Amino acid sequence: MTNKNLNSKPLEGLRVLDSTYVFALPYAGGHLADLGAEVIKIEGPSRPDVTRTGGYAGVFPENDHGEDWWNRPSTFNLINRGKNSVTLNMAEEEGRELFRELVKISDVVMENFTPRVMKGWGLDYPNLKKLNPNIIMISNTGYGHGDGPYSSYPSQATTAELSHGMANLTGYENGPPSKSGASFVDFLATWTAIFALGGALKYRNQTGKGQWIDIGMYQTGVMFISEYLLDSQLNGHEPERIGNKSPYRAPQNCYPTKGSDQWIAISVDSDEEWQTLCNIIGSDSTSELSKFPHLSDRIKNHDVIDQHITNWTSDKDKYDVMHLLQDNGIAAGPVINSKDIHYDEHYKARNFLEKVDYPEDRKMGTRLFLGRPYKLSKHPLHITKPAPKFGDHNEYYLKTILGIDDETYDSLYERGLIADVPGDREPSPTFDPAKRVESKNLADWDPDYKHNLGI
Amino acid sequence: MNNVFENITILDLSEDVAGSFCARLFADFGANVLKIEPSKGSKLRKSGPFFGNDPHHEKSFPFFIHNLNKKSITLNIETKIGKSIFKDLASRSDLIIESYSPGYLKSIDLGFSDLEKLNPKLSLTSITPFGQTGPYKNYKSSELINYAMSLIMSISGIQGQQPLKHAGLQAEYEGGLFGAGATAMSLFKTDLTGIGEHIDVSITECVASTMMASQSIYPFIGGTQTRRKSEGSNSGQAAQATKDGWVVWQTGGGASWEDISEFFESPELLEPKFADRAQRISNGPEMDEIVENYMKTKGKWELFYKASEARMLFGVAQTPAELMECEQLKSRDFFHEIEHPYLGKVKVPAELFKYSHTPYKLRYPAPILGQDNIEIFENNLGYSRQQIIQMKELGVI
Repeated sequence: MTNKNLNSKPLEGLRVLDSTYVFALPYAGGHLADLGAEVIKIEGPSRPDVTRTGGYAGVFPENDHGEDWWNRPSTFNLINRGKNSVTLNMAEEEGRELFRELVKISDVVMENFTPRVMKGWGLDYPNLKKLNPNIIMISNTGYGHGDGPYSSYPSQATTAELSHGMANLTGYENGPPSKSGASFVDFLATWTAIFALGGALKYRNQTGKGQWIDIGMYQTGVMFISEYLLDSQLNGHEPERIGNKSPYRAPQNCYPTKGSDQWIAISVDSDEEWQTLCNIIGSDSTSELSKFPHLSDRIKNHDVIDQHITNWTSDKDKYDVMHLLQDNGIAAGPVINSKDIHYDEHYKARNFLEKVDYPEDRKMGTRLFLGRPYKLSKHPLHITKPAPKFGDHNEYYLKTILGIDDETYDSLYERGLIADVPGDREPSPTFDPAKRVESKNLADWDPDYKHNLGI
Repeated sequence: MNNVFENITILDLSEDVAGSFCARLFADFGANVLKIEPSKGSKLRKSGPFFGNDPHHEKSFPFFIHNLNKKSITLNIETKIGKSIFKDLASRSDLIIESYSPGYLKSIDLGFSDLEKLNPKLSLTSITPFGQTGPYKNYKSSELINYAMSLIMSISGIQGQQPLKHAGLQAEYEGGLFGAGATAMSLFKTDLTGIGEHIDVSITECVASTMMASQSIYPFIGGTQTRRKSEGSNSGQAAQATKDGWVVWQTGGGASWEDISEFFESPELLEPKFADRAQRISNGPEMDEIVENYMKTKGKWELFYKASEARMLFGVAQTPAELMECEQLKSRDFFHEIEHPYLGKVKVPAELFKYSHTPYKLRYPAPILGQDNIEIFENNLGYSRQQIIQMKELGVI
């Protein structure tokens, strides 16, 4: 139950059963832990989260699998920070019975199985409510529960990005539909879950009632292109792919700067800003560029303008260009990559990346992880502790909290209903970063990263 | 209680998509949201696309969609009377949402420290490109700049070409949704303590926070992630052509590699050179050729249904027009219909998710400029008609 003390974090005292896999809800669980919730990650003894083992695991500290590789991948550790870990074989009735006992003493249950699974196990919302009348349940699936034609279909962000309409609108001019390099829609589900839970907690606080939150990732993605849906419906307009340009601002594009794969984004809003930019670029370009005083001229002659801007930016540092243009009131910013963010003065000033120290026995040292995109003035938050080892809290929850005796516990262990090593799984492969740069699978490799980061 | 936020009153000062969308999400689930606009209207009213391509202040699609379920008054909060009316409203509210450049509200004596004195349970959510602190806090931004500065562009698009932004206003939407999430958590705490707080949301941090797989590579091995290569589909990273549109597929959805080979009617996919993920990436162009030769003879919908029934991960590139007719979205009550005085009857993208006990309701369309002035000033705040006319003349409303 929750804490009325002003100084405690927003979710202190809240217990969350997090039976979720991959990115979307697991990351919501990580954020709930940052907010002070006690989050128990539940995994099958031979069904560890794919961020521990598969192609989604990311990389290992210093490319070393270590002895317990399943506890060491980068993606797993970022997402699941602050949680406790319990393994439970939900495919067995005995495992489900233990899960039910945990439901009785929890506030929230999160799951992302395909719609038939929890129902088949007798763990859907109507059944959980019988165990704990004010439980809040969050379900996240590709297409949402219900009787829609796609509800039972498998889905994942990569393929969903085409289906939910984003890719068709995104892409280089005259090129095919394009998707982002990340699992875009997962994070819309992450934050839909956090928002929905905030509302459900307020409702429970005032009415004593829990409820079921049913998220379909597909529709969260479609929601994010709402103005295109209206433009199609009411104007009959089907837009073309326009790269980084805008119908409302010009010039707007990404321009190369000094160095390999370094870029500055510039976005001009008004005729006055355009005039300022022309004056800054100066020299031969001014007379040529001053032929385009108005937005419509600049949209028509965008490619010519881009060439002049490129000539001006290509020998400059991307940060220098940003500061110069911003000092003159023009929106500009460098393309910040996954190295830059660690050294950018603004992200640093806001402590957006947080240092997490691992205990000695984890042999993972100190790592930096993305924090939260918000700050609460009266509740300073931080990542509370590292992501847990597989099954690290089995004993605490099953023995101490549920009161199972030693003999039963040992028997569960022996029969594989709980575990601290995931059954016959292989770690995802490690690789030589220098070779990955050569084969263009990495943009860059900094062998001195630990020293440079001070970790 | 019919709605989770029905006891909450919100003043929405925001003039961008992020703040407006954030306030709309609360309005969607029951909050009483009052949009406060300058007398000429919110800047968002000038954002296209517009109905009939007419840049009229009641015909902006972004304004319409992000201000559903709200009421609106006009109020010049820089005037003495306007400020005092605003403070009066703030003393009766739970939350203010705003998107001004950091420091602006404080400069007109309406910063959080001024407002919390009037009403200790009041919270303030500020959603801006770079947040309330740090060296870039007052830098100008736009969707492209937000995207560029938050990692996602560095890994989107193709190597050798520009980093590529998503279409539309994804950073703004993320700022709105993530900001709503943070705010809902804080409001829950306020329920317990009676004390509000200032919630500082950075749009660039919202987008960057989704880059978990990318960011963490650096402090683990010193690597910087890149964009995909130009050749090959890179195992689901690039769209592939069918007879009538684009699709993408991936392994891992429940279909085995044998099932997938059968789906493509291509037994050659069972050859050892395609046996595992690493091989399928290094022999990608060859695999793509086999697959694309098959798919270019088929329609995208035929492939989508057949693949999904075979439990493959399969996406079909849908246009906005196709999504408007999508049976899955209809089954989820995604669209709700409403009448708007300028736009007519509109099928609105409405339900983000479902609550079992407190269903979504589309109560009103986006407000007409100054629509609720009389109701709020006369009925709620007790001004006379005469005073309201005077305030109009003074440029307060």
